[in-house]
Order: sequence, then structure tokens, then C-alpha cells
Amino acid sequence: MGAVTGPRRGLHTVPVTERELLTAAARAAGLRLSAADVVALLPAWKRYLTLVEELRAAMAPEDTDAVG
Amino acid sequence: MPSVESLTSAPLVQIVSSLRRRQVSPVDLVDAYTKRIEASAGLRAFITPPDERARREAQRAERRLSRGETGALLGVAIAVKDLFATRALRTTVGSRILRDWLPARDAAVVARLRAAGAIIFGKTNLHEFAYGVSTANPWWGIARNPHDPRRSPGGSSGGSAIAVIAGLCAGALGSDTGGSIRVPASLCGCVGLKPTFGVIPLAGTFPLGWSLDHAGPLARTVDDAGVLFDVLSGGDAGRKSRRASTRGLRVGVLRGSIVELVQPAVSRQVDAAAAALRRRGLRVRSVQIPEMEWTVATQLVTLRAEASALHARWIRTRSRAYGADVRTRLQLGSLVAGADYVLAQRMRARIRAAMRRVFHDIDLLLLPSTPITAPIVGERTVRWPSGEEPVDGALVRLTAPFNLTGLPALSIPFGATAGLPIGVQLVGLWNDEARLLAVGRLIEEEAPTLTLPREQGRKISR
Repeated sequence: MGAVTGPRRGLHTVPVTERELLTAAARAAGLRLSAADVVALLPAWKRYLTLVEELRAAMAPEDTDAVG
Repeated sequence: MPSVESLTSAPLVQIVSSLRRRQVSPVDLVDAYTKRIEASAGLRAFITPPDERARREAQRAERRLSRGETGALLGVAIAVKDLFATRALRTTVGSRILRDWLPARDAAVVARLRAAGAIIFGKTNLHEFAYGVSTANPWWGIARNPHDPRRSPGGSSGGSAIAVIAGLCAGALGSDTGGSIRVPASLCGCVGLKPTFGVIPLAGTFPLGWSLDHAGPLARTVDDAGVLFDVLSGGDAGRKSRRASTRGLRVGVLRGSIVELVQPAVSRQVDAAAAALRRRGLRVRSVQIPEMEWTVATQLVTLRAEASALHARWIRTRSRAYGADVRTRLQLGSLVAGADYVLAQRMRARIRAAMRRVFHDIDLLLLPSTPITAPIVGERTVRWPSGEEPVDGALVRLTAPFNLTGLPALSIPFGATAGLPIGVQLVGLWNDEARLLAVGRLIEEEAPTLTLPREQGRKISR
């Protein structure tokens, strides 16, 4: 799994994989995931993030109008 | 005089009439259903099949009938999806977690069925916690489609649809959060009604998504669904539908991107249903609702969050007590941010407003119930010329919009392809079930006759 955030050099950032991000998010939500859970959940989580981004983009014109 | 065996597959209204005329005994009918249930155990329609209690209820009904008592469903065997609480009768919600739950009281809908004289005839199989559309239940068995046991009956009310179409009861109760009545109705070839949100009380019904859950009937005919709906809702839309005028009603046939990925045979049947309505004096035109494109994302965020809120404790402390697919869905839901849920509710309001606008120009909307016929059990993706789609997403793509909006929707069998039933879906305006059922009956009258599974030559008589 490739790094998705953070440059490879720098004092305050480290490479983080999607799997690590998911595990951290799950831990923050109080879930204890097994390795098998992570494997099963990762595709669904990525699809979820994509769908939410699409929803956000679709609502964006309304947001702009409201601010303007 | 109809034989007991022929009545097992007859419309509920015919059964009611035969019972009232004392042409058949409810005990004999219950015995005939029981034999059929035993013979079709491989379909896994029931988690808790009807037992001696159901037979005693039939004996009581027989005594009442002999005294000349009446009741809308007196002596009629109704199977109940196993997420409606039944007093002192195991209610598992299709789960391992609740495998020993004996509710202290009936769900409101079960109480209404009993008050109308119905025999509560077993608890039907469902997708675990109703959270999925295959009814491939890891604890209580993989439910099978009566038309082809290699195929899925759909879900989550899969057991109820099987019981109706295989002649194991007179009618059944289901619930629908994203399509869980209409999807199995479509795949199994029976009628399924998801009424207006809130019309049927949900007290005592194990929830899945509070803002999306509906209860409703699965039945062999539209008339049967109307009778059951009247009992469940305490209203009279079913009765009214029989005298409602349909001439000149405006029907919109849904076009646009959301119905582009549909099996050609399914599209042809929707067009045939539209043509039939035109012949019967309705005004038919095409309509588009572009906002429906956002249904899948909106439904996914809403349902994941609501279901995980309900299961918050168990998914953190007993995750191994869930089947793999439901566990993954609940874990994902635990990661939904509050801001994402708000975003989905804003889009939901937009979809609802779009529907309201479209219904200014039409009285009813016509579309497929499901874009595909029954998939093979375990099949995960549908292959379209333009790419792949998850089977569970495809199955609810055309039903979930009406859970988000609360509009009443009816799935009606309309022909078959390769021996598998096709369902068309009719959607009405909020609280307009009477017209929905009236036009649904027209579609039913025009539908090609559906042969009952494994009983070549026996048709559903309407």
C-alpha cells in the first residue's frame, strides 16, 4: 500500500498508508479491528470517502451561494 | 368448491371468502401449509416455522367462524418477518446476538394482525439485522429463490417473499429500509408494498435506520396487499382503491442516467407496462429526476450512520457475533462523521424537493423495481457494458430513493425472462396509497401470467 499523505522528508510529517489511516480512524471511533477486519473494511471505506467527496462537490454551488 | 391444496397458492381475498363461507377450515389450511413448509425446507424461508401454537390459533379461528364471527383476516395465516416482536415467540432479527429473545409483547403491527383474526404463522428468514439484500443468513441459513434455488430471493425480507410465492402462507409481513420489501418481491414474483413513511406504526419493530424504516405487506396480488395494508395501517386505502377512478391519471415513466443500467428484458417490461396503462386510459409520458443520481451516496451515508448508532455498543464489544458483511457495514458506519451525515441530509432534502416538483406534473411514477432479475447466490458484481456495479448496490438503486423521500411504492410482478420474474415499481405521492393500489391493479391485470415455481401449469389466479 503506497503512502497517501505527507512528504517523505520533513520534520513533522511521516508517510501514512491508507491502512494506517483507517486503523487510526477506527481506533478513534472506539473500534478494535483485526487485520482481517482492516482488509475487509478498506475497500468499503475508500468507496465511502469517494461518495462523500462527490456529495460534497454536488452541494458546493449551494454553499457558495449561501456564503455570497 | 376449491380444494385445500389449491387454496394454499390462492390470493388472500379468495382464502378469506372461502373461510367465511365455511368452504374450507383454517385448520386444514394450516395443515396444508405446514406440509408444504416441510417439503420446501431447503428454501430456508423460516427461522421459526409455525408450530402447535399456530394450529391452536387456527382451531380458535374455526370456532369463531362457526359462530358467524367476522374479521378482516379471521383464520388467515400470515407469516411475519423475524424482526417484528412476537409475544413469547422467539424473535431473532436474523442474528446470533438475539437468538434467544422472547419478547414480552407483540409489535404494533403483529397486534393489529391478531386483532383482525390473523394466525401468526411463523417467523421468516431475513438478512442478519435486515442489513443487506441477499438473505444469505450466516446463522439461520441461506435463503433460496423458489424459481431457481441457485439464485437469491433478495432481501432483507427474503423469507417472507419465498413464503408468499411458494404457497407457505396467505400473505406476509416485511420491512423496507432501502428496498427490503420490494427487492425480494421483484426477484421472487410477488407484490410488495412499502407505504408512506410513518403510516404503519413501528413500535416493537427492531430498527435498522430510524429515518428510513417502513413496514408493509408482501402478497400474491395487489388486492391482497390492499387488504393487509388496511389492517396494518388502520385505514381504508385498500378498500378505496377498488372504487378509485384511474382514467386520465398522469403516469411518468422514469428516464435518465439512474435507469440506464437496467437489463434489457426489464426495460422492455417497464415499457410494456406503460403501454398497457396508456391502453387503459391513463396519460403516460417520460420524466427525468436528475437528483436521483445522488441516491446511492445519500442512502449509504444515512443508513451507515443510523444503523451504527443503533449497534454502537455491540459492534465495539461483540463484533465477532456478527456475520462478515454486516460487521463490515457496521464498522464503516462507526466512521461516518457528523458533518457527512449532515451533508447527506441536505442532499436528501434536495432529492425530496425534486420529487415534489415532478409530482406537480404527474400522479404516479413508473420504473423498474430492480435493474436485474435474481442473481446467483454469492454473486458480488453485476457486469454492465460500461463497467461493474456491486450486486447489493444495484438491487437497491431504484428502491432506496423512496425510502429517502418516504413516498409510497409498490412492486408488481410483470412477466419474466429466462424463468425469472421481473418486477415493475409504481410510486405515488405521500399518503396516496389508494391510487397507487388502483393503478397497480391495472398493471397486474395486464401482466403476463406468472407460473408458480416447481409447479408447472399452476398459475396464480387473480
